[in-house]
Amino acid sequence: MTDFLSTHLAKPAAGSKAKDTKTSRPLWSWVWFILGALYFVLPLLATLEFSLSMERDVIGFKAYEMAFSDNKFWQTFGYSVFLAVMTIIVSIILIVPTAYWIRLRLPEARRIVEFITLLPFVIPAIILVFGLIRVYSSPFDVPFTEITLIPPLTNYKFGTNVLIVGGYMVLALPYMYRSVDTGMRTVDVRTLTEAAQSLGANWFTIIARVILPNVRTALLSGALLTFAIVVGEVVLASFLGIQAFGPYLFLLGQHRAYEPAALTFTTFLLTWAAMGLIQLITGGQSQAAGAH
Amino acid sequence: MTETALPVPKMKTPRSSYKSWIGVAPFFLFAILFLFLPSLRLFVGSFTTEAGDFTLANVTELITQKYILDAYLLSIKISAVTALGGGILGFLLAYSVTVGGLPKSLRSALITFSGVASNFAGVPLAFAFVATLGRTGFITAVLKDVFGINIYSAGFNLYSFTGLCLTYMYFQFPLMVLIMAPALDGLKREWREAAENLGASSFQYWTRVAMPVLLPSILGAMILLFGNAFGAYATAYALTGGRLPIITIQIGAQVRGDVLHNPGLGNAMAMGMVFIMAISLAGYSWLQGKTERWLK
Amino acid sequence: MAFLTLSNISKRFANFAAVEDFNLDVEKGEFVSFLGPSGCGKTTTLRMIAGFEMPTTGNIAIEGLDVVNKSPNQRNVGMVFQAYALFPNMTVAQNIGFGLRIRKEPEAEVKQRVNEMLSLIHLEEKGDSYPYQLSGGQQQRVALGRALAIRPKVLLLDEPLSALDAKIRVSLRAEIRAIQRKLGITAIYVTHDQEEALSISDRIVVMHEGKIEQVGTPFQIYNFPETAFVASFVGTLNTISAEVADPARNLLRMDGMELETADDLNGRQKGDKVNIAIRPERLNFVSVERKANVLDCTIENITFLGSVVRIQVKIGDAKFNMDTFNNPFLELPKLGDKDQVTCSKEAVLVLGD
Repeated sequence: MTDFLSTHLAKPAAGSKAKDTKTSRPLWSWVWFILGALYFVLPLLATLEFSLSMERDVIGFKAYEMAFSDNKFWQTFGYSVFLAVMTIIVSIILIVPTAYWIRLRLPEARRIVEFITLLPFVIPAIILVFGLIRVYSSPFDVPFTEITLIPPLTNYKFGTNVLIVGGYMVLALPYMYRSVDTGMRTVDVRTLTEAAQSLGANWFTIIARVILPNVRTALLSGALLTFAIVVGEVVLASFLGIQAFGPYLFLLGQHRAYEPAALTFTTFLLTWAAMGLIQLITGGQSQAAGAH
Repeated sequence: MTETALPVPKMKTPRSSYKSWIGVAPFFLFAILFLFLPSLRLFVGSFTTEAGDFTLANVTELITQKYILDAYLLSIKISAVTALGGGILGFLLAYSVTVGGLPKSLRSALITFSGVASNFAGVPLAFAFVATLGRTGFITAVLKDVFGINIYSAGFNLYSFTGLCLTYMYFQFPLMVLIMAPALDGLKREWREAAENLGASSFQYWTRVAMPVLLPSILGAMILLFGNAFGAYATAYALTGGRLPIITIQIGAQVRGDVLHNPGLGNAMAMGMVFIMAISLAGYSWLQGKTERWLK
Repeated sequence: MAFLTLSNISKRFANFAAVEDFNLDVEKGEFVSFLGPSGCGKTTTLRMIAGFEMPTTGNIAIEGLDVVNKSPNQRNVGMVFQAYALFPNMTVAQNIGFGLRIRKEPEAEVKQRVNEMLSLIHLEEKGDSYPYQLSGGQQQRVALGRALAIRPKVLLLDEPLSALDAKIRVSLRAEIRAIQRKLGITAIYVTHDQEEALSISDRIVVMHEGKIEQVGTPFQIYNFPETAFVASFVGTLNTISAEVADPARNLLRMDGMELETADDLNGRQKGDKVNIAIRPERLNFVSVERKANVLDCTIENITFLGSVVRIQVKIGDAKFNMDTFNNPFLELPKLGDKDQVTCSKEAVLVLGD
């Protein structure tokens, strides 16, 4: 299977090439760049301006005050953060050993697993949630009987939480797996493991002292991206009836004008912070989560 | 690539025993529970009537029911327009910071920002565009007060096809930049020099060497952009409130309440989407393979 | 008038000079190598001839015409790059025909010329293959064919063999030389491999830190190096410092032993320090043949290199390498043995400082 986003996404030019003696017509380049920059920046400016205009004729942070003093905001935001953290933790527990195992013991599984990690691109969130609801809102019976083994997950709060974390894991899967896999490849875990084994280390030591520290960067960048995806996610959350930040923001937009703008701008800053952190720790590899 | 006279002996790697597959069992279990099962359910449900019998009626209705076909066409139209538009403009932007000779600092800024912008989709993006081009939006006001142009009376409406396309561009653009920047980096300097050395002008270099080499990447990226827009839901819903009947909105309506009283049809609509997405992914993979082969 | 003239060429960047004071006349049909370590300015000079770098000072003339102000696509010089630089989206035939089609030559003539080139580089069946389907050596031959197809006035080669396997390098360099001879084309060849330069060049320009150290035929460069750098860069060498014992009789003293040299001492006086060099193959055991200079030594190491046996001997405090042809019937000394080595006075080279 071909490599996907992360291996084709940009790194800033490391190791500059020799000086070009010919400057290749920067005039047009500036034109496009400025046009592009304008297109990017204007909506953000507009949002910021709007968010600061709650009080008539005053540039102030009233909208921010109102937004942040709403209890519901903290509830939903906190809940989204909680879901993000759960997604990250379970993803790591699932993906790291799997990626490691494939590299070490089971290269044949690579193609299938990579194919699976590409599936979330073919099954967008709206369809995923559709399928999840269909499957898990009916009870799981023992075949040919009326005995219920597992009641519909959606009837229970805990069950719904499991569903949404599972759904989020699916959404984040391509990026998480790609990060971890690239990290392991860069570090060449196979050789490291063999070296450690020849020096007498047992499996626990190897994983804890050799593998994990070396893929820390990859894990962090995958985690940050997952965080950005989950906190902003609205499709899974609203259809599954979860009180997350996404649906909250949407509802807010139905009733209020300025507070949503304030929160939107805040979201933008948060996303920038997350992406900036990723750039910092990976030394430049950027990832895109695409449309929602 | 080297030519050695002696053949290198191949190491025989033992085929892993079936026990090794236990190690990936948790992953497969996860995939089955949360990916395959839901997909399968939808797939099977497409071919089932309410009573539970096999039927092809749902699938044929996809094409015969006008409103469903229109929904697909509308989605395809939006996706194609934003893929093309975002593709061309994104390419130009990527070009400007790579081959185009702008300072390295601008490139880093653009790449970071592209990462941010492509993650910004959904509800916040819709709100941002409302604040920009809505009836009381920033740009709308500026155009009216400063330039005397009232775009709304001229027929523009953010909550329409055009408005949605404009909004979608916000995450299509950056995705194109992120994919094309490394592809443009891959244009070896020596190709340009070799072409010049053989007498080619800049224009001839671009038309005969650079663009042909880049074409698979560009096309592949645009296909990716297409799939990206095709599956989008939240942005459209937040912006138009479900008024614009693209296929994702229609499916959303299905999920929310059985508007059609025919669950099979909803499943079929979902499967139709998956089919189209799968084709685009396949197209992208094929083009990627071609690029990688050429640029070994 | 020389075919290609570089006069007073220099290339300076903000804080250092890549090339300085470069003067060279190249005759038509000559094969000249620029030889030197990385960073010595050889590639920069080549790129100035091609037009990819502008000289800070100086002139470049081909057939009497100034080319410095012409852009690279007007100079009609053919360049072969280290990284082949074949256009990946074109077949071998299309690559070779590229320059001709740019010049809008009629299609029939292009096809004919391409076929000529394909047989010249012995790749007749590969015309429809793509670069990624070829090996490194094949790709480089295509690059050569592509550069030659346009009938350039000068052929420039920038370390064309560095990326290839050792065996291929040897056979391909001979091929390149044969093609160059056959076509009678003037060629400039940049390399850091002195064996390569020695084996195929008419003349070698040895460069170091941006300047020309010496220009001469391979024979001259190897046997009569003019500076310490040339002597040590080209071929292996034993260098040691000695002092002048008797300038009138060309006698030197090294570690208490006397050495006679045939080289000019250039007015050095008794007691002056001087760097001398002796090629390993010019030393031999006294028991084999006795020459003017005889030195006492101890056997330190013996390395069997195939056709050559390299014996490391200690003369006084210095270690010397002595190369002798392998002879299965020759009894080699043992480690630690004391022996005597000898060399002629012509073999003792006095190096410029």
